Amino acid sequence: MNSDLFVSAMTLCAAPGAGLDVLRRALAERRSGLRPNDFAPCTLNTWIGRVEGVEDTELPSELRGFDCRNNRLAELGLRGDDFIERVEILKSRLGAERIACVTGTSTAGIGSTEAAYRAMGQGEHFDPSFLLPRVHTPHTSSAYVAQRLGLNGPVMTISTACSSSAKVFAAAARLIEAGLADAAVVGGVDSLCQSVLYGFHSLELVSEHPCRPFDRDRDGLSLGEAAGFAILERQPEQAFGRLAGWGESSDAHHMASPHPEGTGAVAAMREALDRAGLDPEAIGYINCHGTATPMNDQVEARAIRQVFETPPPAASTKGWTGHTLGAAGIVEAVFSLLALNDARLPAGLNIEQPEDAWADFILTEARDVRVDHVLSNSFGFGGSNCSLIFARS
Amino acid sequence: MSHRIDILGLGLAAPGLRDRASLQAALAGRPLETNDKPSTSSLLSPRERRRAPAAVKLSFPAAEQACAMAGLEPGEPLAIFSSGMGDLDITDYMCRTLAEAPELLSPTRFHNSVHNAASGYWSIGAGATGDVTALSAWRDSAALGLLEGMTRCLTDARPVLVVVYDDRAVGPMRDLWPSEHAFCAALVLAPAGHGGAIATLQIDACREAARHPALPEALEARIEDNPAARLLPVLALIEGAIDGEVVLAAERGPSLRVRRSA
Repeated sequence: MNSDLFVSAMTLCAAPGAGLDVLRRALAERRSGLRPNDFAPCTLNTWIGRVEGVEDTELPSELRGFDCRNNRLAELGLRGDDFIERVEILKSRLGAERIACVTGTSTAGIGSTEAAYRAMGQGEHFDPSFLLPRVHTPHTSSAYVAQRLGLNGPVMTISTACSSSAKVFAAAARLIEAGLADAAVVGGVDSLCQSVLYGFHSLELVSEHPCRPFDRDRDGLSLGEAAGFAILERQPEQAFGRLAGWGESSDAHHMASPHPEGTGAVAAMREALDRAGLDPEAIGYINCHGTATPMNDQVEARAIRQVFETPPPAASTKGWTGHTLGAAGIVEAVFSLLALNDARLPAGLNIEQPEDAWADFILTEARDVRVDHVLSNSFGFGGSNCSLIFARS
Repeated sequence: MSHRIDILGLGLAAPGLRDRASLQAALAGRPLETNDKPSTSSLLSPRERRRAPAAVKLSFPAAEQACAMAGLEPGEPLAIFSSGMGDLDITDYMCRTLAEAPELLSPTRFHNSVHNAASGYWSIGAGATGDVTALSAWRDSAALGLLEGMTRCLTDARPVLVVVYDDRAVGPMRDLWPSEHAFCAALVLAPAGHGGAIATLQIDACREAARHPALPEALEARIEDNPAARLLPVLALIEGAIDGEVVLAAERGPSLRVRRSA
C-alpha cells in the first residue's frame, strides 16, 4: 500500500483576497492585505488583516444555525479554486464516509458570544436570537465544513492556538494511516474578534504599524483572519505536493512566550526531517512562523540555526495576511506549496532594515528558484509547535 | 477494522466521582457523595493550584491519577485534551470584560483563554516535551478524544494519555451549556501487549447509534448532564462492571464500538 499523502487541492482566503490567483498576484505585486483597524467596535490603533466581503457572505439556508463571522469566512473560503467541486469528485470516488474533516481554529465563533454579551447589557441571559449552540463552541467550523461538504468520516477540531491548522495535516495523516479514512479535508478558519484584538493588546504584542517580521524595528504583530482548506489523499492524478513529514512538540516552558532557546521548535523541525527521511540540506525554503514580535522572530531564527548549519532562504507570511492565529498553519502551508509549485520563493514584506547576522537568510526579495522540499513552521501559545515538510510531487 | 488497545490507567474528577475508588463505589450502586472535597493536583504547588484556570484544576487530577496507575511519569505519554467548550469560566470573564471595559482585559486571563490552556499547563507541569494536543468536537468530544487516542496508539506505537473534560457553565453561558456538574475522565492507552494493563479493549469503527448497558441511575444522570461523561460506560467496561458493548457515537462520522477483550 502506498502510504504517501498528497495535497490534491487547496484554496486560501485571507486579507489580500480570495483564491490562489489573487494570492499569487499579491505576492508578485508585493501588495499587503493589511489596513488600518476598521473592525468595529474595536478602537485600537493598529493594522489588521480583515477579509473583505465576510459580512455579506450568506450560508446555505439549511445551515443558518451556524451563522457567525467565522462560518461566513469558512463559506467564503470554501468557494475558492473550485474546492467544493473537487470535494464532490473525491466523494464520488471514495464515498463521504471515508473522508475525514479536520480543521484548526483558536477563536472559532467567540465573536458571536462577545456580541451576545454586549447585547445582554446588565441581564443574565442571552437574547434568544443569540442562542446558537452550534456557534459558541470551538468545534463550530469543523462541524460547519463537514456538513456543508457532506463529509461523513471523523470530524474534529484542533485548537492549539497558532499551531492548530498545521497540526491538522498530522492528525489527518494518522486517521488515514490507522484506516479510519482514505482522504481528508483539512484546513483552518479564524476570524477577527474583540477577544484577540484586546487580548494581544493586553499583552503589549500588537503593533501600531503594519507588522514587520524580521525587521530590526519590528514591534509586534498585526492580527488577521483567514480560511484555508486542502484535500489530502493518496495517489491523485495531480497534486500541489506531497506531505513528506511533520513534527509536533511542546516547549513545556510558558503559556505565552516561547522557550528562549527554541527547544520545542528545534524538536518539531528535527522530527519533521526525520519523518521525511531528509537531511537539513534538502530543504530549499522555510516558511517561518515569523509573527513580528521582537522575541518570537529571534527565537525562531535561533532555532532554525540549530537545525540548519546554513539555513535556506526563508520568510514569513505575516506582512501579507497578518497573524491569523488558528488559521496561520494553513496560510503557511499554502504559501509553502505555492513556493514549491511556482518555483518562486516569496520574500518577507515590510522589511526596511533587515537584521544582519542572525537573520541573514530571510529573503527581502522573491527568488525564482526551483526547490524540492519546503518546511513550514507554526508555533503557538501553550508552547505548541508543529513543522510540516512538503515535497515536490 | 478492529483494534485491541490496552488500558494502563484511568482517573476521574467530578463531584462525587473524584477517583477510581469512588467510581467503583458508584458502579456498585452506592449514591454519589457530592459534598466530597474536589480532587487536587500534586503537579501544581498550592499557590499555582489557587491561581490555575478552572480547566487546569478540573483536568490535572484525573490525568495525574491515570498516569500514576499506568506507572508512567506524567511527562512520558503523548497527551490529548478533548473538551467541547474548554474553560467556560474564562469565556464568561472574557466576554463580560470585553462588553464592559475591553481595555481592562487581564493579559493572564487572555493567555489562559486559549483552548489548549489545560494541555499547555500540562506540558509545563508534567515536563512533557512530546506532542500535547487539544481537541474539540462539541458534544462528541469523548468519542473523538478516544478515537484520536486510539489512532495515535496505532500510528505512534506508544502510550497516550486521553483527557476528556467539560466544566459546568457560569452566567449566561448556562443557557448554552446547561450542565450541572463538571466532569473529567482520563485514560492511558497503549498498543495491546504493552503489559501491566488493567483491561484490554476491542475498539471498532462502526455506523451504529449510541448505546450502552444500563448503569446505576446516578451515573446515567451524569451522562445526560455533561457530554464529557459519555465516557462513563467505557470506564464501566474497563472496571468489568458491565458486560457487552458500548457504542460511543458522534453526530457525524463513525461511531466507536467498544468491548472488553478477553
